[in-house]
Amino acid sequence: MKNKFLFIVLTVISIGNIYSQSSINPDISLIGTFNTYTNFIKGSPGYGKLNFDIPEMELFVDGYLNPYARASANISYENNEFGVEELYGDIVRGLPLDIQIKAGKFLVGFGKLNTVHPHAWPFLERPLFHQVFFGEGGFNDVGVNFSFIIPTGDVFTNLDLGVFKGASIIPMSDSYAIDRGVNPIFVGRLGTFWSLDDYTNLEVGLSGSYGCYSKANLVVFGIFNQENVQALNHFYSGLDFKFKYSPTAYSVLTIQGEGLLNNRDVPRIPVMGIDYTLASVQKINNAGAFIYADYKFEKQFSFGIKYDYTAGIFGSAPTFLSLANDDKNSTQGIEAWFSYYPVEETSVVRLGIQNLMYHYADGTNRNNETTIKLQFLFSLGPHKAHPF
Amino acid sequence: MKKIFFALLLISASLSFANIKVVASTTVIYDLVKEIGKDKVSVDFIARGDQDPHFVEVLPSYMVKLRNADIFFRIGMGLEMWSNQLIDGSRNSHLKTIDLATDIDKKEVPNFKPDASYGDVHPFGNPHYWLDPQNAKIMAKEIYEALSAESNQDEAYFKKNLDDFNYRIDKKINEWTNKMSSLKGKSFIFFHASWIYFADRFGIKTAGFVEPKPGIAPSPSHNAELVGIIKSKGIKTILMENFYSDSAPNQLSQLTGIKVVKVPTAVFGMKNINSYIEMMDNIINQIIQNS
Ligand SMILES: [Zn+2]
Repeated sequence: MKNKFLFIVLTVISIGNIYSQSSINPDISLIGTFNTYTNFIKGSPGYGKLNFDIPEMELFVDGYLNPYARASANISYENNEFGVEELYGDIVRGLPLDIQIKAGKFLVGFGKLNTVHPHAWPFLERPLFHQVFFGEGGFNDVGVNFSFIIPTGDVFTNLDLGVFKGASIIPMSDSYAIDRGVNPIFVGRLGTFWSLDDYTNLEVGLSGSYGCYSKANLVVFGIFNQENVQALNHFYSGLDFKFKYSPTAYSVLTIQGEGLLNNRDVPRIPVMGIDYTLASVQKINNAGAFIYADYKFEKQFSFGIKYDYTAGIFGSAPTFLSLANDDKNSTQGIEAWFSYYPVEETSVVRLGIQNLMYHYADGTNRNNETTIKLQFLFSLGPHKAHPF
Repeated sequence: MKKIFFALLLISASLSFANIKVVASTTVIYDLVKEIGKDKVSVDFIARGDQDPHFVEVLPSYMVKLRNADIFFRIGMGLEMWSNQLIDGSRNSHLKTIDLATDIDKKEVPNFKPDASYGDVHPFGNPHYWLDPQNAKIMAKEIYEALSAESNQDEAYFKKNLDDFNYRIDKKINEWTNKMSSLKGKSFIFFHASWIYFADRFGIKTAGFVEPKPGIAPSPSHNAELVGIIKSKGIKTILMENFYSDSAPNQLSQLTGIKVVKVPTAVFGMKNINSYIEMMDNIINQIIQNS
């Protein structure tokens, strides 16, 4: 039913666009992605076979509401389902102190890469730590963001402060986990941009995120069985940078990286003994990071390599012991790719290979897992300028 | 009390020296603003002279430039498709954005809604009008009007500078027209569809473009087509902006012996090209020498 409704909305929007010559129409663009892959994961049903993903689609609609505000929507079709990926309004000018306010559902500015849509990344796989600490689709949340310009002369400095619902936090699957309820999370980023010369630019950012990621009832066993519900908080601090060198219009070298330090409360159940009753809350620290380099040449080709590190065993179910709550095990990844842009950036063919390496603190041996993917991506709609 | 008096004195002194802060989207506009505004404006530009003005990355450093500006002059007609993002990013609610295309006799404006199969970058007509020096005069007049509106008391000063510019460029236009008269009716291959205003002004003809469609990279099949045109029409010269890759034109040159002439189409587009007049001089002299 919901799908039908969305389908009708989409049809109306697209017909409206075709038949109207008015320039007041919003910009509409359609991104299609089609992946085919083969993996070399022992025991996997698709081992060594050519697997086809269901094509994915993203429909972007955006435009000015009036001279002061814009609105944007991004409707996605993934795994045979429509979804509202983003839907937000943006007051861009006219507010005191030149604040910009963004409200709705959108990609949160923790780090730099998260706010860029995956179809615009030079590589195929979302950084592992994004998936572990933010969720499979990245940090995408419902809330309000306030953006301030910090007067730093010729250097552009921007401070973002936001309050969010915590919509992309995946509930823990432990039996004593309790829904986090209504508990806002706070996210901020301070970013500074330098033009080093006419051809070289650098942006550096510091991010933070704080809030309750889950609650837990910490009475495990005991005589009294009293409820002991505790809110468990996380504090992420992040450092990001992006460096771009484009000596000609035909070649660009991009080096980009991000790191995240995670400090959070985790319940740890003590070994049964005399001290039999309560689980305790401990603080743990772990981390995640990625760095990649991509070189685009002759406007039509690019290749690059990315290194990934994340706490936890990538692909595990989220519990109080796994993924972001795991300070013992880790996963590393290496991804390499080659891309061909036949005509400008309206279409891309990209071949990528990713190798995942698992590290278990208890010495468990697990083979590396390799996936080779071929991606076709097209983008239909107005050609937009590239933000840094 | 004395301190306050001095403070006021300082403020009023700085006010009387206050000049109009202008950002130009291209270096050609930058030069024309300097001609008209002289020392009563401070002016900066965004697209470098050696850069394709269609494709400029949206850099925060450009937002900083616009943040402090009073007026932003653009070519318009969709040339600077990157500019709205910069304007929004600047958060400058007092910024006046002025398209200099307003009074230009626009060419190649489609009378239908073009889709991407017509190319990538000229949906509102051909925006390369600054390559006709008569249009530079129209741009200068537009700039004069905008600056005068911003600072009424300097109107006479700007008018004098405009008259002075018009006098010099009229002389130059005569000189260029005389030089180009020997090439009247001759056909040329151009790289990008940016030369129609220039060609119409000086009576030269367009036999084809290295780009199959505006903004679309050269292709082998299109090159093959051009080889046929060059041979059958006996065309001698490919004229191209110096920021484009010359690999496709050089292939044509190897196959047919046609000359590839690379010219600056913006101020600072080459060494020693520091004004609009120097730029036009360079273009015309190179064409004459190589045709
Ligand atoms: Zn053009």
